[in-house]
Amino acid sequence: MKVAFYPGCVSKGACPELYVSATAIAEPLGLELHELTQAPCTGAGVLSEQNPELADALNGLTLAMAEAQDADLMTICSTCQGVLSNHNYHLQQDPGRMDRANATIADQGFRYGGTTKVKHLLWMLFEDIGIDRVAARIKRKLTGLKIAPFYGCYILRPVESLGLRERPERKTYLERLIALLGAEPVEYRGSTKCCGFPMLTFNRDKALAMGGNHIIEAKEKGADLLVTPCPLCHLNLDGQQPDAARVLKQEIDVPIFHLPQLLGLAFGLEPEQLRLNHHVVSTKGALEKIELKV
Amino acid sequence: MQFTIEVGRYNPEGRYADNAIPGEPFPAPWNRSPVRRYQTYTVDLPEHAVVLDALIEIREYQDQSLAVRCACRSAICGSCAMWINGHANLACKSKLQAFTKDGKTRVESPPSMPVIRDLVCDMAPFWEKHLAVKPWLQNKQPIPPPDEEYRVPNAAMEELIQEVSCISCGACLMDCESFAVNSEFLGPQALAQAYRYTGDPRDAETKERLGQYSESGGIWDCTHCYECVAQCPKGVAPLDQILKLRKLAVDAGFTNNAGTRHADAFAESVRDSGRLNELTLMPKSIGYFNVIEQLKVLPSAFNMLRAGKLPPLIHHKIPGLKRIKAIFERVGGRFK
Amino acid sequence: MTRDHDVLVLGAGLAGMRAALEAARGGADVAIVTKVHPIRSHSSAAQGGINAAISEEDSWESHAFDTVKGSDYLADQDAVEIMAQEAPSDIIEFEHMGVIFYRGPDGKLGKRAFGGASLARTYFVGDITGQALLVTLYDQILKAGVKVYEEWFATELFMEGGACRGMVALEMITGELHLLRSKAVIVASGGLGRLYEPSTNALICTGDGYSLAYRAGAPLMDMEMVQYHPTTLAGSGFLMTEAARGEGAYLLNSEGERFMKRYAPNKMELAARDVTSRAEATEIAEGRGIDGNVLLDLRHLGPDVILKKLPQIHEMALDYLGIDMIKDPVPVRPGMHYQMGGIKTDVDGATSVPGLYAAGEVACVSVHGGNRLGANSLLDTIVFGRRSGKASAEYVKRTAASTGGEDLLASEQARLQELLQRPYTGDTPAGLRLELAVMMDKKVGLYRNEAGLREALAAIEGYKQRYARIAVGDKGRVFNQALEFVLELGYLLDCGEAIIRAALERKESRGAHTHTEHPDRNDAEWLKHVVLTHRGGREPEVSHVPVTITRWKPEVRTY
Repeated sequence: MKVAFYPGCVSKGACPELYVSATAIAEPLGLELHELTQAPCTGAGVLSEQNPELADALNGLTLAMAEAQDADLMTICSTCQGVLSNHNYHLQQDPGRMDRANATIADQGFRYGGTTKVKHLLWMLFEDIGIDRVAARIKRKLTGLKIAPFYGCYILRPVESLGLRERPERKTYLERLIALLGAEPVEYRGSTKCCGFPMLTFNRDKALAMGGNHIIEAKEKGADLLVTPCPLCHLNLDGQQPDAARVLKQEIDVPIFHLPQLLGLAFGLEPEQLRLNHHVVSTKGALEKIELKV
Repeated sequence: MQFTIEVGRYNPEGRYADNAIPGEPFPAPWNRSPVRRYQTYTVDLPEHAVVLDALIEIREYQDQSLAVRCACRSAICGSCAMWINGHANLACKSKLQAFTKDGKTRVESPPSMPVIRDLVCDMAPFWEKHLAVKPWLQNKQPIPPPDEEYRVPNAAMEELIQEVSCISCGACLMDCESFAVNSEFLGPQALAQAYRYTGDPRDAETKERLGQYSESGGIWDCTHCYECVAQCPKGVAPLDQILKLRKLAVDAGFTNNAGTRHADAFAESVRDSGRLNELTLMPKSIGYFNVIEQLKVLPSAFNMLRAGKLPPLIHHKIPGLKRIKAIFERVGGRFK
Repeated sequence: MTRDHDVLVLGAGLAGMRAALEAARGGADVAIVTKVHPIRSHSSAAQGGINAAISEEDSWESHAFDTVKGSDYLADQDAVEIMAQEAPSDIIEFEHMGVIFYRGPDGKLGKRAFGGASLARTYFVGDITGQALLVTLYDQILKAGVKVYEEWFATELFMEGGACRGMVALEMITGELHLLRSKAVIVASGGLGRLYEPSTNALICTGDGYSLAYRAGAPLMDMEMVQYHPTTLAGSGFLMTEAARGEGAYLLNSEGERFMKRYAPNKMELAARDVTSRAEATEIAEGRGIDGNVLLDLRHLGPDVILKKLPQIHEMALDYLGIDMIKDPVPVRPGMHYQMGGIKTDVDGATSVPGLYAAGEVACVSVHGGNRLGANSLLDTIVFGRRSGKASAEYVKRTAASTGGEDLLASEQARLQELLQRPYTGDTPAGLRLELAVMMDKKVGLYRNEAGLREALAAIEGYKQRYARIAVGDKGRVFNQALEFVLELGYLLDCGEAIIRAALERKESRGAHTHTEHPDRNDAEWLKHVVLTHRGGREPEVSHVPVTITRWKPEVRTY
């Protein structure tokens, strides 16, 4: 299946392991990735808030690029998903905004007709690829692992633009996937909460406490690892975890996996192929539970 | 239809029913309230009944000692916000059927607020925040004579109905992530009311307000998680109002804060490379001269570098960057 | 613990807070005592709007006449004139405080039509007018720094030398009983809807103020006048604002007919509430209802009007009946809504008891007489709230503070202690309240007759005996709501008895009081108020007070 692939800045920046693992699982999933190399950053909501017109134009351009590919736009980042969905929704709902965005990108030879569907890899597994196909690709059951899902805000809220009113089941995909891969999903409050990343640069200690608390909660419920479809959450939960432990005065030490890394393991790929050896918090303990080494 | 309700009981005088089971303590940050016990009740109600119907039924005919605030029963008075299956909601607006999970509905005082008794929490933190934003009109002068109204367009009034629709139930604050880790944060309701007055064309102190709201504990302490938008039973969408305030504050020149520097650094990076540059975002947001804060970030940066997780030192630009620059040139406003 | 103030206001709805604000402006040390947080007050449930003759084509005389006619000529016309004259500036004052009233194209206040009015004069904020006024006023109270005793429940007024000098109140959060002393008390505690089942009123509308003032010696007037609102939601009984019909909604019977043409050919759906409610009851009784309801049809108004001007009722019908009024008509029926009568006051809120004032629904000035017009209740609260606040602030300047009351506190402590120690008798306050309320709806509702009223009175006597032994199902101190409910039930029983006795007295049909054996209005004998005065354990004294007529002689009332 052909998709217009929008990897997002972070997978090409601070989380290269996400890009590597996402491209590695494309083949088993039957995804033909057409990367939108010329698409700009979504603005991560920051630009939408300060200059909605600018954000409409930048995201309109991305949506138009996907439209030109005649394929659904696939994200691998909850934040990209949220921002693109939000602009797509408002551009489709409000002809005035659509016209203004199109007037801006017309100079660059683009026009957005409003037909692009924006879908996170997580949604595509259930809605397009088919969960049977995913199941058929499993070569290594993750039995014995207790995995805590961590969605990231922007793949859950606001519900209107994400289509969660029509498809409330999107709020359960991570748990269902974890079970499908043979692991046990951990139920805890933090799974749908904020990781703290948006405040990290300007309210550091609070942001660290926010993310840290969720990991500790999951750990207390027995989680061996957290899995997230959002690299920004990963930056805070993994990248800043030692600092969060310092702020909370408590040892944490729970590895955070990207969604494609978890899928990759189940599809039989080796931890190094998924760059599981390039995390701040070591993945060693979790991998040993399924008899793997890094 | 039979419904099973598990009610979080708390009695400062220490009396509990024999069949009340002790609850587990909440994890941080949901641990501002003492550990409570859960008591299970079964009620027979019509299938469309709401959680509040069940609580009233229990209180009236099964257990008069159950304390719960309620008045209008129709989502107007804002009394009955509480935790229902772990999220803040109005009991009078939550259908039992929709909130039955594993055969039961669990209700309790939100552990993010101090509890007084059973489902009655102390709303003092909520009202203190409300008061802190100066939620009253600072009249633009001259005030029209007593027989004359301010002349303002209807659209300006209609725009504020969303904020005036707030019934002060507190559901947004009860589930606010920023408040959970930062009790100083003014919170969604108060900031939505802050916008209600800031956005009023009859208010004279727009600039003073924006200055106040830009300070610590204000608009930049929101983590932007949309939880308040999801929890608000009246469609007030507090986060949207906070974002409006942020924009107004920046436009009014209140830019000497990490939030604004973050936005500027972000925009600059997208403009100049088409992409986010994580490497410069952090130091630029903190401000290059804020040495103490800069030093705090260093250990994390080092950890990430060691794991091979820091972005390449030479930041790539996306192909076709001139398009992005042209878009910024055209509609970039402050970010040109 | 004892606290002293100049003025104590009981209740923090619109009337109470407006009174407190004015008393504070008048230099008085004022405090509000309220059993719920001010924002939870039932004023917030007023949806449709507030009346005033502001527009150029309107006049205060026209507003006053419509009010008098709406009252079925029972309102005191001097009071109505004051209300109509002061309405514009009081509403403009709220605009200056920040209420986001709807505007016309010229940026001036815009209006909508309401029942019983000869032209559109209802000013509004969507269908949350009461809430918009309430939150704005609350914020003014915060700004003025008025002390609020929040979640304090009044158990008794403190009387000394025939004058009211404060009250005893239970602090819910601690369970502590306090003596609050003052030179004046303004009772603004709202209505008594819990006396009827169903009712549009909140669970907190339990007639506290009527009973407290009545027992303190202030007479009650026009208590037989209980308004049934024509459009309350099937099942729950929640209010569907008259503004729906003001915006053009139809009332339909089971045959799809706009039946109001047979009852009020000129005003149709916008006839006065008593007329419309009786019309619906007739349709239902004659078999043209749908499961005991008629239909409120808004479909032709279109989504824009519904969602912008009536969003709250749209949401309520959707939440509680699953009906989207954009697509389907909504089943409604007449339901108990408002008490026109109350504590008898003059136009400054003063009762016959020195130091005791009343304002809002609990008071009877009387501006509503036999039937209140829609959107006049909010007006009543702010005009007479303000006037009573002003008058009380003047009164306290010439009044000495009391230093007594400790004995009352002790006797109240003993009374509550006794209540808490009673053994269970098989009766619960909720069960008894429901029996009472269902009985009131059945026998003292839209239609009344002599035999039914006699039965009702006998029933009340029986309830009172059971009440005298009723137990409190919670023995704790902190937030003991069971104790509160028992005390509230006592208030309701007083109110119920007063309504029945007044209804027995009035042998005619006028406004909301429809006596099936005396179906006509009888101005020759009954153009007067029925007044009840409490006499301890004996039956109350029933007396009559003439209606004040200034310029409008009673006429035949048609719409």
